[in-house]
Amino acid sequence: MNRNLYGTTAVAGVGLRQFKRGQAPYSERAALVHAIVDACAEAGLDPSDVDGFVTYGDDKNEPVRLAPELGTKELCWSMAVMGGGGGGIAAAFGSAAAAILTGQASAVVVFRALVQGDSGRLSTAVMAHHLNDYMIGAGIVAPAQVCAIRAQRMFEHHGVPASTAEEFLKACYYHGSRNPDAIAYGTAFDHDAYLASRKIAEPFRLFDCSRENDGAGAVLLVSAEKARDLKKPPVYLLGVTQGAQKGWGDLLENDDADVYASAGFNGVARRLWEQTDLTPADIDCAQIYENFSAQGVSSLVDHGFCTFESAAEFVRYENLIAPSGKLPINTHGGNTAQGFIHGINIAVESVRQLRGESANPVPGAKTCLLAGGPGSPTVSSAIFGTSAMVG
Amino acid sequence: MSVPSSRDADARFWQALGEGHLEMPRCAGCGTWHFPAVTRCGECGAWEQQWQQVPARGTIFSWTRSWHGFGGSESIDLPYVSVVVELEEAGGLRLMGLLDGAGADTAVAIGAPVVGQVGSVSYGDRDVATIKWRLAA
Repeated sequence: MNRNLYGTTAVAGVGLRQFKRGQAPYSERAALVHAIVDACAEAGLDPSDVDGFVTYGDDKNEPVRLAPELGTKELCWSMAVMGGGGGGIAAAFGSAAAAILTGQASAVVVFRALVQGDSGRLSTAVMAHHLNDYMIGAGIVAPAQVCAIRAQRMFEHHGVPASTAEEFLKACYYHGSRNPDAIAYGTAFDHDAYLASRKIAEPFRLFDCSRENDGAGAVLLVSAEKARDLKKPPVYLLGVTQGAQKGWGDLLENDDADVYASAGFNGVARRLWEQTDLTPADIDCAQIYENFSAQGVSSLVDHGFCTFESAAEFVRYENLIAPSGKLPINTHGGNTAQGFIHGINIAVESVRQLRGESANPVPGAKTCLLAGGPGSPTVSSAIFGTSAMVG
Repeated sequence: MSVPSSRDADARFWQALGEGHLEMPRCAGCGTWHFPAVTRCGECGAWEQQWQQVPARGTIFSWTRSWHGFGGSESIDLPYVSVVVELEEAGGLRLMGLLDGAGADTAVAIGAPVVGQVGSVSYGDRDVATIKWRLAA
């Protein structure tokens, strides 16, 4: 166990402002400032005392530009996770914790903001990061296609039934339908409508794809000690890992054959379990970034909840829903049914679930896995826990 | 996005396509095939790469058939099939490309043999060289 990291920092506040795509009532920066102020209000911390910021996914909001609106007394930590798009979300917590634990900052906000009028379509921005002539020459110009071609191999070569993707979505929609803050609130998942939705890039249909929202999210991390003096029950960071293992990366489809159809978490997941001394059996619920349905499934495989061979048995709707499934996932609805601001939503739900504030509570949940954007050249994962996990 | 430059490690790849054939890089020190092309071999530390002409022949490693008109793909008729091809004679290296002539009903399968020839795709005001593959008879 990495005792320097395990339970030594904690989330003290979260903020999330979400709107329909293209319909934010204010600018991207304003949405972000609102989310940060919301997170601070939960904690009972003055926004001017936030002295660190970490983002990911090519967010364009430079922390120093937020300072006049937050009243920032001193900016001490201003970082962005390189590459990876949504794959960097958990890594942002690693950076924030590193700053706090080494005394370089004391109150660090992890954030992501996205308002289409300011930053354009997310899918376009993500592709601008990755696109090259090899891809253009193959007609592969969008994240849906990049992930579809991996999903096809998982289904066709590794024999994972495509029905697992639908089961995953069904669980997301079940949770979203019961969450008043979700885009799918009140909307039941319909098998026929799923099959009737138009094809995007095989094996994906429209319902297999996440749809971005306007908005911003902020998660305030402080030392465990400081968190205990703030208003909300601390949600502890137990471990976090990021990166890519040899054989996975930005390799023009030349990832090792045994991991090609994975979500890229092989080394990240192994190190996360080693770092925390926890195993998949210790995880009570999980927020799994599903840019596309199949990548949600391969993330579960990568983290060891099942294998390609046992995926059909494990990735079943009843296993994945609160309150009593073996591993309730995306308990707010996930990217597909709650909303998608480049994944910051799933970090917020990790915290709310462990505080008992989720629309779909998992009774007695002590741990929550946060798995970042799957399939990215670099990915990251984290585990959060309640005070019951910290001695 | 990045546009190829003559200084890049893969400059020879694009030159070769321009000459109408496929060349892939192999470390001059240890023989490891590399793709993406590299300046330095991460396996043995050698700085020299040898480009070898290889036949555009292999098998489909994975594929997707696109039905949605994604921005940047306007010059390609929908639906179209993108493939990742494992080359037969380049140490298992894979290349992306289009399965030429494949439409809505074309049966595509992992493992299917394909042969290719140099072609191009229009992207904005540029022509981007690529390999266009066909299912082998």
